[in-house]
Amino acid sequence: MKATAPLLALLLAAATLPAQAFDLGKLLEERLNQELEKRDKSKQPQPAPAQPAPAGAQSAAASPPPAKQKVDAAQLGFALFGDYSLEEESRIGRQIAGNLLGAAKLVPDRALQSYVNQVGEWVALHSGRPEITWRFGVLESDAINAFAAPGGYIFVTKGLYRLLNNEAELAGVLGHEIAHVTEKHHLKVLKQSSLIGALGQVASSKAKDSDPAIQNLIGNGAEIMARGLDKDAEFEADRVGMVYAARAGYDPWGLPNVLQDMAALPAKDSRTSLLYKTHPHPADRLSALGDAVGGRMDTVRGKELPNRFYRLP
Amino acid sequence: MKKPVLSASVLALFLLAGAATAASPGTVLRNEKLYSQPSASAAAAASVNKGAAVTVLTKQGGWLKVTAGRTTGWIRLLSVRVGGGGLASVGVGDVLGAATTRSDPSKVVAVAGLRGLSDEDLKGAKFNAEELARLDSVAVTPALAKTFAAQGGLASAQVKRLPKPQADEPASSWGDN
Repeated sequence: MKATAPLLALLLAAATLPAQAFDLGKLLEERLNQELEKRDKSKQPQPAPAQPAPAGAQSAAASPPPAKQKVDAAQLGFALFGDYSLEEESRIGRQIAGNLLGAAKLVPDRALQSYVNQVGEWVALHSGRPEITWRFGVLESDAINAFAAPGGYIFVTKGLYRLLNNEAELAGVLGHEIAHVTEKHHLKVLKQSSLIGALGQVASSKAKDSDPAIQNLIGNGAEIMARGLDKDAEFEADRVGMVYAARAGYDPWGLPNVLQDMAALPAKDSRTSLLYKTHPHPADRLSALGDAVGGRMDTVRGKELPNRFYRLP
Repeated sequence: MKKPVLSASVLALFLLAGAATAASPGTVLRNEKLYSQPSASAAAAASVNKGAAVTVLTKQGGWLKVTAGRTTGWIRLLSVRVGGGGLASVGVGDVLGAATTRSDPSKVVAVAGLRGLSDEDLKGAKFNAEELARLDSVAVTPALAKTFAAQGGLASAQVKRLPKPQADEPASSWGDN
């Protein structure tokens, strides 16, 4: 998606907003300058349109900002609403992943981590975002949950991993998380919320190898994981993730079977507290996924691979 | 003289299906048909209504063999919730004091008594560069993943995206037309 046109509209809209003095940091300034350059580039080589341009385009073209204009603070925030570059997406995801790993470490089992990366990478190769370097990890936690961060960072807890019965179920769970990345669900939340979050966070606590610019933007990165996504994003990730696993040659019923097993857990099971705060109940997810699937997977055959599935000691 | 040998994979599948669904209770999630075979082209044996209680006997691919009243037949896996939960949470959302489905930070409360990954743990987390480096070190290349897939006999398949269902509310009459 080209961010140029929406940015133009937003810059025009910015003029009507009350001016506020705030410092959103260097990242945003860089970002805006990039957008301005992109737009200038796209403007110059274009010949005059042969046909009358639509009204919106005309009004935008009628007020081109000077190429080297000084960046106005009020505009900085609106740069956020453009599209993130892959590099920005990766930086954001890396910061979130690093913070998440501060809450729970990786299970110290290299064979397990390697196995999950092989399954995950294979499923991700069917997701249509080959430019991403995907990383998968199993977290040392009894909680039943899984996480995705922008830029291809995917985590499953040991508690969830223990619920799984075969490789197709793992592929289904990873497919759901991969879908959060390919559909950019967390980036969309950040676009809505980061402006507010960034206001009070100019000074960052510098952790080793942490990215202060990103920390400014997203606050404590792991917090977005505690907040969760809109339920429609979760339903979408179920639909998309099931398809990714099936495209990778797995039995498509892996994810539904995991949802069945989660739905059967006792309601008060403390291992699912955070999961149920941030996700619709598995019974609702089964119902919604069933509405979408109907008979569409009837002819899809795939493998479950229960023998190859890496079982925790 | 040869002993009959059940291949390991068949045995594992058999055990798996048995363990997961041996005569479990279940609840029907939408008005559905019971088929005589695990196929939508088989004869329909009966109809079951949303909310009906069934007994789940076994599983095969995307199908469950269930008993509803005096009829036994096959129903789609995604049309049944296996386990004793009933329809309780379907379309209600917050019965468990959980399942908050909107991004509202004010609704997040502390969870105690669980090792790692409550929302308080996440909010207080400090960036861990060492673990992140370890995560990088276990990533695999696409080439390695392809070899791994081939070893398991996995082949890429053409599967279309699933459309977003029209009806948002399962109970809505809009969806039934």
